Amino acid sequence: MDNYLQHFLYPSSLFVSKDPYLVKTILGSCVAVCLWDKRLKIGGINHFMLPHWNGNDLASPKYGNIAIDKLVEKMLYNGSRIEDLQAKIFGGGELLSANTGRNSTTMIGERNIRVARMMLEEKNIQVVASSTGGKKGRKILFFTNTGEVRHKFLDKQTT
Amino acid sequence: MSNLSDKQLLKELRDLITQRRSFENELKELSRDYQDVTKKLRESEALKSHFISNISNEIVNPFTSILGLSKSILSVEKQDWKKVVSMVALIHSEAFNLDFQLRNIFVAAKIEAGEIQPNIAKVNIRSLIQTVLDSFQIVARKMGIEIILQFNIEYGFGKNFYFKTDSEKLKLIVSNLINNALKYSYKDSKIIINVWVDDDVLNLSVQDYGTGISEKNQKIIFERFKRLDSGINSINRGHGLGLSITKALLDVLGGNIEIDSKKGEGSTFTISLPEAKNIVEGFSGEGNDMFFDEGDEIF
Repeated sequence: MDNYLQHFLYPSSLFVSKDPYLVKTILGSCVAVCLWDKRLKIGGINHFMLPHWNGNDLASPKYGNIAIDKLVEKMLYNGSRIEDLQAKIFGGGELLSANTGRNSTTMIGERNIRVARMMLEEKNIQVVASSTGGKKGRKILFFTNTGEVRHKFLDKQTT
Repeated sequence: MSNLSDKQLLKELRDLITQRRSFENELKELSRDYQDVTKKLRESEALKSHFISNISNEIVNPFTSILGLSKSILSVEKQDWKKVVSMVALIHSEAFNLDFQLRNIFVAAKIEAGEIQPNIAKVNIRSLIQTVLDSFQIVARKMGIEIILQFNIEYGFGKNFYFKTDSEKLKLIVSNLINNALKYSYKDSKIIINVWVDDDVLNLSVQDYGTGISEKNQKIIFERFKRLDSGINSINRGHGLGLSITKALLDVLGGNIEIDSKKGEGSTFTISLPEAKNIVEGFSGEGNDMFFDEGDEIF
């Protein structure tokens, strides 16, 4: 445990490494997609806040469609092949009580999850595990060399 | 089960139809979303190439002046100090401009690559703002614009106010706001910078008496600043990234920006920035918190 390099993943950023890293992040309605290459034993993770890029701001990985493309791109750049990639999806809770209504414009968590699943399916990347939705925040620890994810619900509300 | 009444059958049929209709609607909505996204992506490609041609102007122009000026300094009569000094001043302002633009471009690239993260430290706010102001002083003096700093923070001995945030990012945010204010100001006017604190939130406003922004454009400058640049104010120099970078940086720091402007009367941009906490919900910022709880699930 102690010999892992550690990285705290901030929202709207992504992280890919060939070296074994322990990546931690906190998720509310944000979604994180962990990709792991079973052949090369390397991994990467993103953390996006909103489903679709609105075409106006900088095209940053704050948006799911950008973040997932960029993450896959980076994995491929590091020598991965699509068929070796496995995905795990976390987050997308609805933390604000106002967001529990049926109004589709506010269900950010739900829409974040949907973007992740749709894009991964489109890219033929297998989703091997996930913990999404619900009303709680999550903290996750991702080991880039084993693909293992440790996951815990948070009682306190996060954003 | 076999003897369902007609009524029940009808009801079931109706349910199925409504269900199908809702699926269809959803499908329609999704395909519309999809079309929107592809359209946006295509636009963004066009923007990118436009952006590069813009940028190349931004970089080539200062370089041409720097090269030309330094060459003429080399050939000028060495006794003519006044001429030399004025040319060196020009070189400095061009180089400053270049440095500023490049910094913005690199930060934008970093944001887009997802490699940006806050680098929190205690920052002396007054000296940070003063440094930024000093760097713009030459340009401001040339335009006859007075920059007034109203520092309304009483703290400790009233001298140094420290605030936990990312100094480099805050510097760039303030620089962008001041740069904009200067760019859209008329000659011989003033710019007022106001700094104050509400609880743990640092506020900073930059007010100019320049051209102002119409209400319609106020929405655009935040949303599609890149595009404003190509049409209306292409007389003004700039890559059109300033505000979108400012906004993205504020996002990273958890801050906000607001605009208050009237066409012809000038504009005020106000940012609010919460103090960064060392503790991110459940983690302390340090590395020694990596032990697992019993409650961890493994995926």
